[in-house]
Amino acid sequence: MKVTSPTVNTVLGPVPADDLGVVSVHEALLSVVPGAEHAYDITLDRAEIFEILAKKLTDFRNAGGQTIVDSTGMFHGRDLRLYEALSRSTGVHIVASTGMGPEENLGGYFLTPQTNPPTPWPAERFADLFGKEVTEGMVVPRVERRGAAGLVATTATRGGMTPTDESLFRGAARAALATGVPVSIRYGVDAVTELQLVLDEGLPADRVVVGDLDRTEAVAAGWPTAVAERGAFVAVDHVGRNDDDAFIRDAERAALVAELVAAGQVDRVLLSSNAVGVAKGHPAYELPYAHVQTAFAPLLASHGVADGDIQQILVANPRALLTVR
Amino acid sequence: MSRVNTVLGPVAAAELGFVAVHEHIGYGMPGSELDTQWWKTPEQRYEETVPKLRRFAEYSRGYGGCTFVDATGICNGRDVDYYQSLSAKTGVHIVAATGFVGGDTALRFFAEASVDYLMRQFVHEITVGIGNTGGKAGIIKVGVSRGFRMKELDLRIYRAAARAALLTGVPIFTHLAVDVEPALAVFAEEGLPLDRVLFGHADDGVSQGKVNEKAILGGGGRIGFDTFGYDLELPDPPFWGRHRRERLEHFLRLIHEGHLDQVLASADANCSPLGWPGVKGHTVNYIYEQLIPDLRQEGIDEATIHRIFVENPADFLTLTTN
Ligand SMILES: [Zn+2]
Repeated sequence: MKVTSPTVNTVLGPVPADDLGVVSVHEALLSVVPGAEHAYDITLDRAEIFEILAKKLTDFRNAGGQTIVDSTGMFHGRDLRLYEALSRSTGVHIVASTGMGPEENLGGYFLTPQTNPPTPWPAERFADLFGKEVTEGMVVPRVERRGAAGLVATTATRGGMTPTDESLFRGAARAALATGVPVSIRYGVDAVTELQLVLDEGLPADRVVVGDLDRTEAVAAGWPTAVAERGAFVAVDHVGRNDDDAFIRDAERAALVAELVAAGQVDRVLLSSNAVGVAKGHPAYELPYAHVQTAFAPLLASHGVADGDIQQILVANPRALLTVR
Repeated sequence: MSRVNTVLGPVAAAELGFVAVHEHIGYGMPGSELDTQWWKTPEQRYEETVPKLRRFAEYSRGYGGCTFVDATGICNGRDVDYYQSLSAKTGVHIVAATGFVGGDTALRFFAEASVDYLMRQFVHEITVGIGNTGGKAGIIKVGVSRGFRMKELDLRIYRAAARAALLTGVPIFTHLAVDVEPALAVFAEEGLPLDRVLFGHADDGVSQGKVNEKAILGGGGRIGFDTFGYDLELPDPPFWGRHRRERLEHFLRLIHEGHLDQVLASADANCSPLGWPGVKGHTVNYIYEQLIPDLRQEGIDEATIHRIFVENPADFLTLTTN
């Protein structure tokens, strides 16, 4: 019997988990609001998009980054052939995600199907759709399947979960459970309750990363600690965002991480920036993918977080999350 | 100069010949492209589509040509360079639509857009082209979301369509003629004459009792009997099906009541459906193989048939600015 070492699904195929290095788990490469590809005043110049992303990924690599996770799911501009070419030419591992959400990002196929009545898709069908993106490969719509998804990513509506959001969360959890890839959720109004939905599907908490936990309200509610205590990964994932009252600032983020480390939760923390490589149909968000390593890691050190803990957060934690089980 | 936008460029209305005014090369709900169960190879898509168009062209020989108006909106799998190749290779004129089948087929980017933006999108697709295909839309699709009630987004699209129609001269056709009062109000407010609007699917099985024909016809609107062939007599009819006889009698009633100039007919068939199984055996050629023989059987003369399938649609599709 062949002994197989643990791997992570990248767009170029499975990669030994130990090769990932420094990982940014919640980023966007090409981000396209659903429908914007048809807009009369938006152009998608593939050569230009490639050039911009290649530059950003190269800068990330030069700053010590080795793996980027595009956590935008299957219907927000994901372009697998572009990502494959980018990974080959920059040497950065790219993990692409399946999943969709929140409801407003879905097409009518899932919300008002051609049935009478037009009942929205239940969790089971989303589980099947997302699961096949892992077991059979991610889709290039109506053309072909490519490599396996490395993550199932979904998001709840900011005003509160809709029934379809709940189906997406449950479907994502079932797909993850069946295939061994992790789940990323970005909460809507209540991180802990929404996390519980995916845990109720039987998914172990250490297969889940909860995003948006550096929102001001999340920190005020104590959700980063609550999520860590339940055993899920806490994503402090807007590092670098310092001009938006809906989020805490980097200094507070550093204090939050230091607090989690002090509480013995260093193995639950993930850092990322939600930077957008190329934005189409929504405002650009220009932030280097390397911001966490270049600017935030030193800040953590100044908050007394030990180098070994910082390495754990940047390397070992995302590796544990992304390793296919 | 009378002209109609086809995917291969403008043609004189006199060249349109026999017109199937509400059809689909292939329709799929937005997002269906992600579900591999519906995928077809390009070979299969051409194989399913080309013979239907060629037969349509053969049947239409006596009319001097034929035109297939594709009613597939933005986000529904509309595929203009494919239509261009089909048209060039079969000789069938194809008119593509801008607009949306209904608010529930507009993806988020458009669902959040203003009336002004939507109008600019439609005008661009009519006057400059769709994407980078160079093909210009010849008609605007609008419609009512599922549930038989006009929603705010539906009406935003209707209003944008009315403004784009007034600016460019293309007509509008609707998906569903139910809950028509809010639509009539929008067209009146925008000053669009109702003969520029085809209120479609007035004949389908699920709409009966919900279509205010009096208001549509009284206001000078056109009424679409454009789901001919979705008959409950089929082995596996869709939920919007209707008994063949009942639909035919409904159609004849309007003709006999003096509304010949206001009726248009079509089959709403998919040559090769994109995100649903389609209805086996139902094609645009139902018009020739079943409907026209049925009409003749009922004593409808050739001049009337000509009026329904040649003159009325030519009048409707001709770019008209006042
Ligand atoms: Zn139709």
